[in-house]
Amino acid sequence: MRRAPSTGKVLTYAGLIALTLLFLAPVVWTALSSFKDRTELAARPPTLFPQSFAVENYTEALSRFDFTVYLRNSLVVTVSATVLTLAINAMAAYALAKYNFRGRDLLFLVTLGTIMIPLQIILIPLQQVASQLGMTNSLLGMIIPPAATPTGVFLLRQYMLTIPDELVEAARIDGAGELRIFWRLILPLCRPALAVVTIFSVIWRWNDFLWPLVIAQSQDLYTLPVALAQFNSEEVVPFNYILAMSVVSMLPVIIVFLLTQRHIVKGIAQTGLR
Amino acid sequence: MSRRRTVKPWNQRLAPYLFIAPNMLIFGVFIIYPALNGFVVSAYDSNNGRTFRPVGTDNYGNLFSDAEFWTAARATAVFVFAFVVLCTAGAIGLALLLNQRIRGRAFFRAVFFLPVLLSPVVVGLLWSWILERRAGALNSVLGADIPWLIDGKLALGVAVFVGVWTHVGFYTLITMAGLQGIDGSYYEAARLDGATAWQRFRFVTWPLLRPTTLVVVVLGLIAGFQAFDFIYTLTGGGPLGATTLMVQYIYEHAFRSPIRYGLAAAGSVVLFVTIFALTMLNFLYARRREAV
Repeated sequence: MRRAPSTGKVLTYAGLIALTLLFLAPVVWTALSSFKDRTELAARPPTLFPQSFAVENYTEALSRFDFTVYLRNSLVVTVSATVLTLAINAMAAYALAKYNFRGRDLLFLVTLGTIMIPLQIILIPLQQVASQLGMTNSLLGMIIPPAATPTGVFLLRQYMLTIPDELVEAARIDGAGELRIFWRLILPLCRPALAVVTIFSVIWRWNDFLWPLVIAQSQDLYTLPVALAQFNSEEVVPFNYILAMSVVSMLPVIIVFLLTQRHIVKGIAQTGLR
Repeated sequence: MSRRRTVKPWNQRLAPYLFIAPNMLIFGVFIIYPALNGFVVSAYDSNNGRTFRPVGTDNYGNLFSDAEFWTAARATAVFVFAFVVLCTAGAIGLALLLNQRIRGRAFFRAVFFLPVLLSPVVVGLLWSWILERRAGALNSVLGADIPWLIDGKLALGVAVFVGVWTHVGFYTLITMAGLQGIDGSYYEAARLDGATAWQRFRFVTWPLLRPTTLVVVVLGLIAGFQAFDFIYTLTGGGPLGATTLMVQYIYEHAFRSPIRYGLAAAGSVVLFVTIFALTMLNFLYARRREAV
């Protein structure tokens, strides 16, 4: 069918484009401004495109501050926490989805209930537990406490429920052990749901601020967001470096998102998040 | 599940417990125990973080007579209410837009999801810079002199806006999944009956989307009450505490000198009870609507 676009269509696109500007412009402008030198950043009215194209913002931020240390800390915490989260969430989800055992419903309820207890709310007693376990001022303390996520267990369980029980039974008849069934049969089938949990775990851990702030007492344990926030409030670091660091901190999650984005919508649509 | 009473081999009886154990261990040690212990800590006073002594309900008394607590509680209430309403409405609106047959749907979807990917710390930095009174881009573009972050009421509004800007993409995704779950035949039937677009939304989409909306509202409530990091870099809680929400109030009493663990813990308990009560109310309301 070929006909002139209806007013509805025109309005839809106009709305979408306006909204795109609202969501995209601040980020694009930040990225562009990270290439402006200090005089240009202070210019009034501000410029859109960088005239100076100051790549030094990046190279100097990297060399003058312990930026590589923060980057490495962020990377270590994000990768190991995500691997840990995937492993234990998938195992718990498998138990809840494919076994009939005493206490299952209670444990599922406990899992769901913990969604209501965000880390922010239990900050003080949680910090005390971490300090009793000798986890303060260590990367381990940033990795382990937030690793068990109720959302991850829930998403994976809902997905695993769609896998027929007969498949598991057949594997058992073929003589496969419980661990082998989980590892070789269930996990490969759950790839879309695992992708969703991965991307969310990466986003949460990479961008996490309050918990690393509480755990890291010495500066060499700062993650990127902690370093950025501290530098910003103390104003010891020129803003052009802060901008360059901000842009570097955005890139990894954006890349992970672009690589996994088709899984995300599919994964959410197929799991119980509705 | 079959109800056959077959005796399972030991490995099948033991396996689920072993599978669930690591996750439950971390839940227990790092969520459930601290949550319960929060009630205990709130009954103790400490000398700047050391030497704890029991004080009964004194911390709650001090909390409720602290003017700063009420300022934070009021700001939190305003923030959460506006945040949840705007996120839910925004998510439904955006999801409906994106659910149509349009060109570049994947692109638009990615654009609205972009802020979800950003660190709240960076989000706060970015907007504080755009909204800066004299050198900020927005006032330059508008040719105006609006004190976005200096006027208390305006700053709280800005915090709500930035919060919605950050989160709405995530709720849009959930809502889109919900929309895709609605059977297309309902719409065909409605169309055959001559229903207008508004009537199709009001009598098909809206009621059938209710379970999704409930999820969005509950997740929004929890996220709203957690808001802290982007505000910390946006306004630092100012001006004059206008954007200091409960989490920041708790954080400052717990980790900034003079450390008052007990008072902060009492604040956490109040926040927890509020979230719990509001979540339960939502579920009860949803259940009653279903029964009718």
